[in-house]
Amino acid sequence: MADEPKKLDRRDVLKGLSTLPALGLFGYAWQRQRSYQQARVTEVAAAAEAPAGQQVINVALLGAGAQGQVLTDSMLRITGLRVRAVCDIWTEYNQKRVVNSLKRFKHEPNAYEDYREMLDKEKELDAVVIATPDFWHAQHTIDCLKAGKHVYCEKEMSNTLEGARRMVAAQRETGKILQIGHQRRSNPRYRHCYDKILREARMLGRIVTVYGQWNRGVTPDLGAPDRYVVPQARLAQYGFKDMHQFRNWRWYKGKGGGPIVDLGSHQIDIYGWFLGTNPSQVMASGGNLYYDPKTHEWYDTVMAVYDYDTPLGPAKAYYSTQTTNGSQGYFENFMGDQGTLLISESEVNYAGQLYRDPNAPAWDEWIQKGYVSAPKEQETKAKSDSGAIADVRESVAPDQHTVPVTLRDPYHQPHLQNFFDAVRGKATLNCPAEEAYQTAVAVLKVNDAIEAKAPVAFTPADFKV
Amino acid sequence: MEDLKLSRSAMIAITVLRVVVGWHFLYEGVAKLTSPSWSAAGYMKVSRGPFAGLFHWIAGQPQWLDTANLVTMYGLTMVGVLLILGLFTRLAAIGGIGFVVLFYLCNPPFVGYFYSIPTEGSYLIVNKNLVEACALGVILLTRSGLFAGVDRILHGLVRRRVRREGLATA
Repeated sequence: MADEPKKLDRRDVLKGLSTLPALGLFGYAWQRQRSYQQARVTEVAAAAEAPAGQQVINVALLGAGAQGQVLTDSMLRITGLRVRAVCDIWTEYNQKRVVNSLKRFKHEPNAYEDYREMLDKEKELDAVVIATPDFWHAQHTIDCLKAGKHVYCEKEMSNTLEGARRMVAAQRETGKILQIGHQRRSNPRYRHCYDKILREARMLGRIVTVYGQWNRGVTPDLGAPDRYVVPQARLAQYGFKDMHQFRNWRWYKGKGGGPIVDLGSHQIDIYGWFLGTNPSQVMASGGNLYYDPKTHEWYDTVMAVYDYDTPLGPAKAYYSTQTTNGSQGYFENFMGDQGTLLISESEVNYAGQLYRDPNAPAWDEWIQKGYVSAPKEQETKAKSDSGAIADVRESVAPDQHTVPVTLRDPYHQPHLQNFFDAVRGKATLNCPAEEAYQTAVAVLKVNDAIEAKAPVAFTPADFKV
Repeated sequence: MEDLKLSRSAMIAITVLRVVVGWHFLYEGVAKLTSPSWSAAGYMKVSRGPFAGLFHWIAGQPQWLDTANLVTMYGLTMVGVLLILGLFTRLAAIGGIGFVVLFYLCNPPFVGYFYSIPTEGSYLIVNKNLVEACALGVILLTRSGLFAGVDRILHGLVRRRVRREGLATA
């Protein structure tokens, strides 16, 4: 050991404290870093300020779980919103987290456990964004509409068709705006596919088959540390038998609808939208093949086949969701007699590919108009000198194009923007309650078909309220 | 080791090393403390190697994960402050080694392991965690807090008190 002190003198004290300035320097650097981050936050908050003349909308968030946080993050990027209230029964955790994140962006929301108290006290609210568990959607939405608020409610609009019908009826009765959170309906990539590729250019020709999937890997149950556990009396008051059910309600019958509803609903909604009609029948198979059925009451694996009578002729659409392997993720694949569209909300995994059938009319006009990209030379063609020989009966590999529209905002932002624009009277809703109800019928009936072990037929009247 | 005499310049270099390692620990801790959504779960979920099962298990147990998060956030901060100040330096160095060895074992850059999480460098066996653990080993063994740090003052006070008590009893 070098230079060990023999007795304490002034020199020892000076050397002993010689590294203290480094701590001060750290404090200074950290403060600078914080100031920089704060400036960025202020910048974002300022960008979200209402431009001159724009009506400021007072919003409440009802349900501050994971989805509530996702919607909050999107709302923070939309101009002219003031989040006045946050309501969540998990006051110990979710409510605090969302309130704190809003305060960082200059919002001053009041926190509530009971939504009725919130509606009573927050008289200035214009709109409520609902992200509570599915079995609460109907009551929350109806009470908010009747309190004179516009509502954005997460999908599935209800875990029962009876609840969904009451929501539509309440919307009609109150005349308020009700948007359901099938956010792909406002995604500019999907809208481009619908408006330009399918409707105007009809590039796929007649769609005969559709395939879609959402594969998700094994996911452990959600839990909560002891210090954040919701008291049992409060859980019971809000319809949960215990903390496990509160955290994993999506798996429980009577609370959610399982993966076919949580995941499939988004994509089956696109089936109906793109095909321009509702299904005439669904047959399905599913089961709880992997998880403990005591805590996972809904089916972890579902495969469904829909029949559609589209304006151009009959079509079949297959949908599969499983929660034990996440490979290939999620996408929707529309196959027509002139081309194929492979689209996904996840642009990073699926860029939005279009394949033109070699026998289809040329797409030059649509390439020139910018509806699709110029074709990419197929890898197989590029490697034609590899020695591989194509059989004369093989189809020639089609050219690959891509959808030239991107979304660089969070997935839910355009749909929320559409809702708030509609509140201001400057847009029509992309997914009003009546539309979402049709999807709810198509999706919720899959679970009925599995249970009945028989096809379920639909009539047009089934999709009307 | 106690017998080893290091030059003044060597001790200054080791003290600088202690301060910069301490700085890194402190900022790692403070950054996590001030990030409301930080959790070690992601790092532990992608764990591989001989202890992967343990880390995966912790990541799946809310109570253990909560404890691991708290220990990591406050532990890194505390080790950082102590290293910068040169206060309880050996204890801080041991604590710091404990942390980085755990980080190393959670995601070791062993032969044949390929991580999907992008890293800013290329590592084989040796990565920054291992380098930092070795640096803390040097700090631990050379007791740089006694050269320049609050440990020097504490040590002097203790020696003076012992001497006084010795004189009083003589």
